[in-house]
This record gives sequence, C-alpha cells and structure tokens, in this order.
Amino acid sequence: MDKPSHLSVVIDLSLTQWTLCAQSTNPPGITLQDFLSQLLAFLNAHIACKDENTLAVFGAFPGQSVMLYSSTGEVTTTTAESTDANTYRPFRTLDSTIMSSIAERLDSYDGMTEEAPIGLVGCLTKALCYINRTITTALSSSQGGEGAAASVDPRILVLSVSPDQSSTYIPIMNSIFSAQKLKVTIDVGKIFGAENVFLQQAAHLTGGAYVQVERADALLQYMMMSFLPAPAIRQLISVPTQDRVDFRAACFCHKRIVEVGFVCSVCLSIFCQPVPVCSTCRTKFPMKTLQRLRDARPLAAPPGNAPPRPPVQKNGTTTPARPG
Amino acid sequence: MAPPAGRRVGDDFVDDSDSDVSITGLDDETSRAKAKGKGKAIDRNKKDKGKAKAKEQPYAWEASYSRSWDTVQEDERGRLEGAVQDWIARGRRRRLLAPAAAIRRTIIRHLVLVLDLSSAMLDRDMRPTRFDLMLQYAREFITEWFDQNPLGQIGVVGMRGGLGERIGEMSGNPQDVLKAISERHKLEPTGEPSLQNAIEMARASMSHLPTHSSREITIIFGSLTTCDPGNIHDTLDECLKDRIRISIVALAAEMKICRDLCAKTGGVFGVALNEGHFKDLLFELIPPPAQRAVARAGAPGANPAADLMIMGFPMRLPDTSPPSLCVCHSQMKSEGFLCPRCLAKVCDVPTDCDICGLMIVSSPHLARSYHHLFPVKPYAAVMSLEDTPDPSKRCHGCSVAFRDTPATMLGAAGEGMSPLGRYRCPECQNDFCTECDVFVHDVVHCCPGCGK
Repeated sequence: MDKPSHLSVVIDLSLTQWTLCAQSTNPPGITLQDFLSQLLAFLNAHIACKDENTLAVFGAFPGQSVMLYSSTGEVTTTTAESTDANTYRPFRTLDSTIMSSIAERLDSYDGMTEEAPIGLVGCLTKALCYINRTITTALSSSQGGEGAAASVDPRILVLSVSPDQSSTYIPIMNSIFSAQKLKVTIDVGKIFGAENVFLQQAAHLTGGAYVQVERADALLQYMMMSFLPAPAIRQLISVPTQDRVDFRAACFCHKRIVEVGFVCSVCLSIFCQPVPVCSTCRTKFPMKTLQRLRDARPLAAPPGNAPPRPPVQKNGTTTPARPG
Repeated sequence: MAPPAGRRVGDDFVDDSDSDVSITGLDDETSRAKAKGKGKAIDRNKKDKGKAKAKEQPYAWEASYSRSWDTVQEDERGRLEGAVQDWIARGRRRRLLAPAAAIRRTIIRHLVLVLDLSSAMLDRDMRPTRFDLMLQYAREFITEWFDQNPLGQIGVVGMRGGLGERIGEMSGNPQDVLKAISERHKLEPTGEPSLQNAIEMARASMSHLPTHSSREITIIFGSLTTCDPGNIHDTLDECLKDRIRISIVALAAEMKICRDLCAKTGGVFGVALNEGHFKDLLFELIPPPAQRAVARAGAPGANPAADLMIMGFPMRLPDTSPPSLCVCHSQMKSEGFLCPRCLAKVCDVPTDCDICGLMIVSSPHLARSYHHLFPVKPYAAVMSLEDTPDPSKRCHGCSVAFRDTPATMLGAAGEGMSPLGRYRCPECQNDFCTECDVFVHDVVHCCPGCGK
C-alpha cells in the first residue's frame, strides 16, 4: 500500500428521498443529520489513513451538481471558522466546508415545486474530470523518471438513496467506460430505496463494491468495512460485494426489462417486440425479417412476468426493480 | 558565392532526421509528419528565406514543405515548455474540430485484417523491422478495435509467397484473434505479396454475412509490387457488388491500384511517413465508418442496410453458483452467463449461443456504441469575456481556476484555441478548461453541464 489513494464521494441529496428515508421504520431509516455526521467520520478516517490521501466531495442536488470540498482547496467557504484547539485542523476544515456548502444550497429549495431529478450524472462526470486532471498533473510533474502508471489510486464512492432514472442510462454507461479507461473503481452504497440497476452495473464493471445497507443506523460500520480499503488491498481484505448483477436491458418503448430483445442495427435501440419502424432512427425494417421474427417468437407472455430464474443464494436481495 | 540577403547564420546545418524539434518529451506526430524534408527541398528553400516564409515556390512539391521549427518560440523566461504544451494542445483540439454531427454509422462490423508478409516487410526503415512494428501495432489495433466495437468480428489473412493465407478465422473474441497473430514463427515474411488472392480470400470469408453489417478489409501493405493470377479489376468489381469497403495503409509508397481500390470502394488510403504516422493511420480506422447512401432502384424507402436483430440479454452466474458444464468448451464451471432462450451456460459474452443460435449480448456492449450515435457537441473557444455578464472563475468540470489575462498566442492565433483557456458548451453555457474539453470529447462523451 504505497500509493496514495484518492477518493471522490458523490452524495445523493434528493430531499424527498431523504425525508422518506427518515420516516421509514422497516427497514429502519436514518435522518440526513445522522447520515452526514457518520459520513464526516468516514471522510476523516480516509484522510487519517495516509498523509497523501486526497479527497473530493460532490453533492448531487435536485437539478444541479456541485463540488462541496476538495483537498486541493478549490472550494472556499464564506463563513469564518473559529479556531478550536481540541480539533485536528484538517478534519475541522473538511467538516465545516462540507456542512456549510450543503447548508447554503439546501436553503434555496422550497417544498412547493416538484423536485427536479438529481444531478447524479453531472457529479460522476465532474469527479472523472477532476481525477483526470490530478492524474495528468501528476504525470507531467513526475515525467522523466518514474513510470507512466498513475501515482494515485483513484476511486469514486456513490452514496445513493434514489431509484434509477431511465434517462441517465447512456451517460452513466459512458461514465463507466471512461472510469474503466482511467482505472477508477466505482463503489456504491445503497442506503435507502430500491435496487439501482445502473449503479450495480457500474460497480461490477469497474471492480467495485455494491453494498445494500440494511441497518442504516450502523452505516459507519458498513462504510469503514467496505469502502475504506484502497483498491490495492482489496485482494487481501475481502470486501462484500453483489455477485448477481442484472445485465438485462430495458426496452425503449415501455421501459420494461427484457431478456430477449429486438435491436435496430442502425441505432441499437431495443424493442420488446418486432416493430416495423424504429422509433429512434425511423428506419423501416424489411417485411421478411418481421415475418420471420414473429413466427419464431414464443407466445408472448403477459407483461410484467419474467420467466422464473434458477435460485441463486445471495444475502437477502429482493427481485430487481424496474427502472423508470 | 555571397549568401543572399537575409540568410541566417547556421542554416548550413540541416538535420535530416525526422525530429525537427528536439525537445525531451515531445511526442508530436503532427510536426514530424510535416517536416519530412529531403536535402534538395531545403537547398532551394534556403535561397528563398529572405522572403516571408518562402511564399514563392518554384516547384510544386515544395508547397507541402513547411518549416515547423519557426513557429516554436521561447517564452519570456527563455523556456520552450509552454510552447511545446501549446503545440500539443493545439494538435488535440484540431482533431476535435472535426465535425461531430450524429451521422449514421454502421455499428455491427466485420473486418478482415490483411497483413503483408512478403519479403519487403523485412526492410529496416521502420524500427526494428516493418514486420515487427506491424505486428505490434496490429495487436494494439485489435485490442482498441474490440474496445470500441464490441459487437464486431475480426478475421486475419496474410499475403505471402504469392498466395493468400488464412491466419485467423473471423471471431468476436479478442483473445482468439490476438492468439492467431501471436505465433511469430508461423508468420515469417517471404516471397511476393498478392493483392488479388488476399482480397479474394477475404471476400469469400465474408460472403455469408447479413447485409446490415458493414464488411471491411483493411490491408497493411509494405511492398511496391503485387503478383496476381488474374485481373485485379475484376476482383474490384466483385467487391463493389458485395459492398465491401477496402482501406489500405501503405508503408512504402503510393500505388495507383491501391488508391483505386480504396477510392472506388469508399475506403481510406494512406501512406505512412514514419512510425507515429503509421499508428495514427491505422487507428483512424477504428471508429465505425459513416454509412454510405445507397441508391437502389427497387424498394424505395426501405433501407437495405437496416435490419431488426434478435438479441438475448443474459443473467450472470456468480462464482458461488453450483458448477455445471458450459456449452462452448464442455468444461465444468461455476461462473458463466445463461442464455435467456434455452438456459444454456456460456462462458463469455458477446457470443452466439451454441445451442439455439441466439446472439447473446450484455447491455454494456450495446451501450459502448451509443456515444457514436449521440456525440457531444464540440465546445466553442471563448475569445473574450465581453459578452458574458458573470463569467465563472473555475472550470465547470474539474474546478481549476481560469487565467484572468489572455495568453499570447504563438503561431496562428486561430485554429480554435481560446486565449483565455475557456471553452463553452453551446447547450448549457458552462465554461471548461482545455483538459476537460479534450477529456469530455475523447473519453467521457457526456457533457458534465448538460448531464446528457
């Protein structure tokens, strides 16, 4: 564990979801206050692990994505912090910057208008841009001596409480592929809400951990066990992860999950039944193909039933929720 | 003879090698590609140096000769690093300025890679030999190609001793293709190349493919001759009928037949100037080609190249599931993918199920090609801050601070470079820095501001 590790945390700050989470009793929920205090303890632990560890925190608010804190000091807070002799200075800066940034933004939201979908995609791409910049500056400063391998071990942690948004499918897949290229691991902590298929795929494809938190009041323990170790140590410390990943796709017409889909060869849009014209690119398909496909298809099952799957032992996962 | 007026001292020494600017760490293919001057061109140009940048060129071939070393200037501290960085960034921006409209591209691709294994490939003008370099770049090309086109298939054919040799069968698994070209002793170059035999062999292996996939042949050709049994123009006509696109990367010089093959079939022809240029030319063939407009007399309206394909999306079995036999290798394994139609276990996707013939694809494979269909709009360079009422101080992507004063532009001020280092997205009107600009357009394909 020689390499310093960089952690980018993306916090889902959807107000409706957090209210629901605070009110839920089964499974036991957690308020935003408690969550933030446990999160700050985790972030302090990350900085304390190694002196060169770097951190960046992004908040996914409804309709916008903001960088809340970064260890290279890009985010400055307007409130003056009082010096406290009992607190370790870096921890104090971190805590106060994050809390004041969140408080500033949250004040601007009123409960009247319908909440816009959270800017999760914006946060992911910003985290990737930030990581890209730290890698390139590290490379250009260390050129001429050391190898070309990145001297930082980057990872992204997404703490999510909201369900999937079908409109974010393509951007999230693009982010996953760029994370693969940059060798970034994406971990996901699902604190509340139904299973998030896109984030499951993100964790699986980048070699990260997807953890469904069942006891939200013990969140700090989950975070320390699963998300604190750097990717290099994860071969030694076995981190709990989700093995059964749903790679099925959702059809473009009904947003239903399909197992056998019909794909347009031009635009790769997926349909659940043979259509004469593709709705995305408006190409007409030859009649012969449609005939052949309609004859070859088994009798259409009523919508909503997926064929029974062979049982797979897994720790308490429920059937996957449908996106969108 | 007195030197003409304006001739600078020290011009007698001419570095004839490829690198005209010898700065450590400069990996600049564009400048090297331009400065492939031979001795004679420099001789003539010296006399013209008094005039501005040798505008009068008595010979036509001098027009392509440009003196890239003049544009590199020192900054106020006498260092060249800034100029070098600028040059590299400009090269990258130039590539991005290519139109990124959402044109129709064929995503399902079948490619036959034809490698020249004739004795001309043992020439040492590219280090260590053309043959070794070709193999190395072919490996990188294949890896990158499958990365960008996961639904494609590659087959490998060699041209050796006047015959076409089938080196690798058409396969969708990158490991299989790499294995086929890994055995170096089987690929020793000898004899004469035969373009016609190789193209015929490639064409035959692609004849059974459906029409909606694109059929391509990419030839790496190092010789100046071809030794054909018949009329190669007949082969060309056959290829046109089969709608095969031929692209050639030549290592020696341009041959008219190669140029014709590419032009008529709609492919790309290039002659590699040096190693870096060779790699660039080869990698240009990786993104899916634009679909050509096919004029058909019958069936107007129905696009013959479009078809509806049936695909299955599997469920992945983890390591903990009970072991069973896989249908591809008949080996006992725990992990694998289940075909949704016949519930057979296959080892790896994408593949065709061996039992029921269904194409099994996982949704990330399809998603990998989406960025070709929904590209990000190029960012406009911000020249001045007069129009913006409240410019942001930091890059929207990585939060690095922008410079306040415009930097002096070396060389041509245009070419899409912003003196303030800001680039604006036309949709969300956010400003980004140079790094983020290149990163977003090359890697992420999704603008952080728009969230699309």
